[in-house]
Amino acid sequence: MSIQVEALTKGYGPLTVVHGISFEVARGEFMSLLGPSGCGKSTTLRCIADLEDASSGVIRIDGQTVSAPAQNLVVPVHERQVGMVFQSYAIWPHMTVAANVGFPLAIRKVPARDVARQVDNALEIVGMRHLRQRHPAQLSGGQQQRVALARAIVGRPRVLLFDEPLSNLDAKLRESTRAEIKRLQRELDVATVYVTHDQEEALSMSDRVLVMDGGRIAQAGTPKQLYRRPANRFVADFVGRASFIDVTRRDGAGWTTAGGLALRLDDTDAPTAPRYQAMLRPETIAISAGGGAEAPDDGLNVLRGQVVESHYLGAYTEYMVDVAGARIKVHAAADFDVGAQVTLRVAPEFCRLVAIDDTAQAP
Amino acid sequence: MPAHAGAGRVLTGVYWATFALVAAMVAIPVVALVYGSFRTSAPGLPGEWTLRNYAGLASGGVLSSMLTTLVIGLFTSVISIVTGAAIALILHRTDFRYTRIVMPLIGLTFYFPSFILAMAWIIVGAPGGIYNTVVDDMLGMPWLRADIYTAIGIVFVMVLHQVPFVYLTMRGPIIGMDPIYEEAASAAGARPHHVLLRVTLPLLGYSLISSFILTFVMTIEQFAIPALLGIPGQVTVLATQLYLLVRFSPTDYGLAAAIGVALSLITGAAIWAQRRVTTAGRLTTVTGKAGRMRDLPLGRWRWAANLLCFGFVFLGLVMPMVILLYTSVLKWFTVNPLEGIYTLRNYAFIWESGSTMGSFTNTLIVSGAGAAIGVGLGLLCCYFTLRLRPAGHRTLDFLASLPFGVPGVVLGLGLLWAYAYLPVPLYGTLALMVIAFVTRFLPYATETIGGQMVQIDRSLEEAAWVNGATRLQGMSRILLPLVSLSLQGAYFLLFMAFFREISSAILIYSVNTSVISISIWSFFEQANWGLASALAVVATVIIFVAMALILRLAPTARRG
Ligand SMILES: Nc1ncnc2c1ncn2[C@@H]1O[C@H](COP(=O)(O)OP(=O)(O)OP(=O)(O)O)[C@@H](O)[C@H]1O
Ligand SMILES: [Mg+2]
Repeated sequence: MSIQVEALTKGYGPLTVVHGISFEVARGEFMSLLGPSGCGKSTTLRCIADLEDASSGVIRIDGQTVSAPAQNLVVPVHERQVGMVFQSYAIWPHMTVAANVGFPLAIRKVPARDVARQVDNALEIVGMRHLRQRHPAQLSGGQQQRVALARAIVGRPRVLLFDEPLSNLDAKLRESTRAEIKRLQRELDVATVYVTHDQEEALSMSDRVLVMDGGRIAQAGTPKQLYRRPANRFVADFVGRASFIDVTRRDGAGWTTAGGLALRLDDTDAPTAPRYQAMLRPETIAISAGGGAEAPDDGLNVLRGQVVESHYLGAYTEYMVDVAGARIKVHAAADFDVGAQVTLRVAPEFCRLVAIDDTAQAP
Repeated sequence: MPAHAGAGRVLTGVYWATFALVAAMVAIPVVALVYGSFRTSAPGLPGEWTLRNYAGLASGGVLSSMLTTLVIGLFTSVISIVTGAAIALILHRTDFRYTRIVMPLIGLTFYFPSFILAMAWIIVGAPGGIYNTVVDDMLGMPWLRADIYTAIGIVFVMVLHQVPFVYLTMRGPIIGMDPIYEEAASAAGARPHHVLLRVTLPLLGYSLISSFILTFVMTIEQFAIPALLGIPGQVTVLATQLYLLVRFSPTDYGLAAAIGVALSLITGAAIWAQRRVTTAGRLTTVTGKAGRMRDLPLGRWRWAANLLCFGFVFLGLVMPMVILLYTSVLKWFTVNPLEGIYTLRNYAFIWESGSTMGSFTNTLIVSGAGAAIGVGLGLLCCYFTLRLRPAGHRTLDFLASLPFGVPGVVLGLGLLWAYAYLPVPLYGTLALMVIAFVTRFLPYATETIGGQMVQIDRSLEEAAWVNGATRLQGMSRILLPLVSLSLQGAYFLLFMAFFREISSAILIYSVNTSVISISIWSFFEQANWGLASALAVVATVIIFVAMALILRLAPTARRG
């Protein structure tokens, strides 16, 4: 294990912002902390780096305990050997690119010759070697970002920490840099914690994602688990787009909506909760025109309804379909008029049962 | 805009009136000074054109006081910047425990008048003063004797006076600095002192240089401290030499004017350099979102931090106040408090003396009304130079900022020259005092008001125009309310400055227009320490009470 966090709590005076969370990140694993603004992602990350003092709990890096307030044990930040990339890059404006990248080595008294060589290596990796003598003011945002990346990896850190490193880049650059960070991380084979509030980023880059809500872990799992089987309504809502329909357990087996429609749902491992909803991802629903004749039962859920809203988004159109009083979002390339009668088909494995009491924990 | 032509004409009229007034206030003394520097005689007397005065600048006496001025200025600035920046870092970047106590005390020290500080230190450090009596007569250690009437004494007292200025100018950049740069350095493996040396201080570089130059300017134009300490000890700087040439025979008004021109050129050049630095510094400004950096632990250096902060407050404020209080209640001065005969007769004298009470009234008039005039003029200047920008606004801007480079005694001398010739009976009136003070501190008003005005988006006013408001209405209904906080701040700043001002008054006051600072000065010159101390105590109490009141009423004045 490369990073272990046990029952980490962080408070500012009477205000507790991280409530005893625990997780582990294995060597070479890429883990994202995902959650809405103010949920404590940065705070958690900064506790790992010792940029904040943890209030209680234990943090270990490579098996070495680096923070255990209960035993009065704190390894200060400059001895933790972390590589960190900040949202605003934090490239020191009074140093050249080479001096910025060389700082972690120079400060550890690495001989100047080795510093130059390793700096060149690191800059080569991020494709910035030709700009080594530039000053930060002469760099674009994306270039500064690469310098920050080179600086984070040059000292061979034991862990890599990212705090929303891409949120200041434009959409195109963001996508290419995502791939680059991922590639680098694979090569270095180092435990990585990546803070983001962008679910697409988290899903596409991570081996595992930890969704946080109000200083607690809402769910931890692989991107697919989170998307397909969210533990609760909060995660379902936060990760991807979805429609929700109130459902109740039918006598016997199966589920029924408030409007009386029977639904086949994926309810494996569903936690018990006072209330349930069915979650439908808009891109998993097939939509076709007309009320449609009674088709042979192919195991799909077939819902008939009427288009009430349509929003053209280029790659697809988002339709809002009224099905017996429930509103369902559907993404489709085909055109339908508002008011048109349509039939929706969706496989049961894409109709996930979600618990509504947010106290439910991940399975 | 034909419908608004009437209002437009009014505004144009106001603009040219402002322009003419500022031009007259600034240009008259400057032109008169330059004129005087080419004349053989005293102001108002028949004389001839000459270059003699400039040749006089190269004389041994003037050159040596120029050297003294620069050396004292340099030493004072270096020591002040190190001390002031260290205190600012300790207060705002470390886990120092008493920030909430020390911070307001340093603010008070900033408003503690320089001549009162110098007086207190004379009572302590003069050859027959408290310190020397104690070490020599009481402790029997004559090798510990020290003399305040020396260049080192001047530097010492000037440092005490300048450190609060450095602290106040460095506090903003230190608090506003994005902590992310330091955090990145820590994460990269730098120990706290390496972070300080390699990241924090370099990033503060421009602010430090700017503060250093301003301190240097204020030091070389400082008059009261080198006059009180240097004249008895025959340590002469340019400002005191100018004063001596005008006030004591053999007088030489022409040489004094030439010295004034030279001194203004030095301060002007320094201020130009400072502006260059701040413009360059803007490119790499370090203020981003001002997050809260975790405080650095002082650890085993805590005692040093405590010693520096409390030591400074003690030497710069507490001890001088105690000494003045003590001196003010003694019948005859004595070092040993047990031998003293205590009396309140000095305070009674202030209360009963018509001339002293008159100087109180004068000070209140000059400060109260003068500050209002200064703020009004500053507001008009800012409105025209920053908002309307009519033809000639750059000239107005330049004129309004020019007094920043003119030392107080030099301005006084310029006015002395000017009103000997001008056919207006201003000489020896309070009005001349007001003119002198407003001119000298106009840049403070425009800086304070302009600083807030540039932050107010033009579109707020334009929205008012679009909705049918005239420019005058736009100004009075939109702009004025939005800048009112800075107006309060500027009024506070000018009031305090006028109340303590001595350097530009010392050459132009008359018996009827004496202000408190001059009265204190005169009593002290007559070696009446008791009376001078009592008056100084009263003035200081008034300053501190006014400051407390205004801070309570207008929280933004704290910026000042
Ligand atoms: N110094 C502080 N004092 C008091 N509260 C703080 C402090 N720093 C952060 N907080 C609070 O802690 C909570 C978590 O902050 P944190 O910065 O970890 O959020 P985040 O998840 O990173 O959000 P974002 O996506 O906006 O960066 C927030 O509610 C914030 O208001
Ligand atoms: Mg954050």
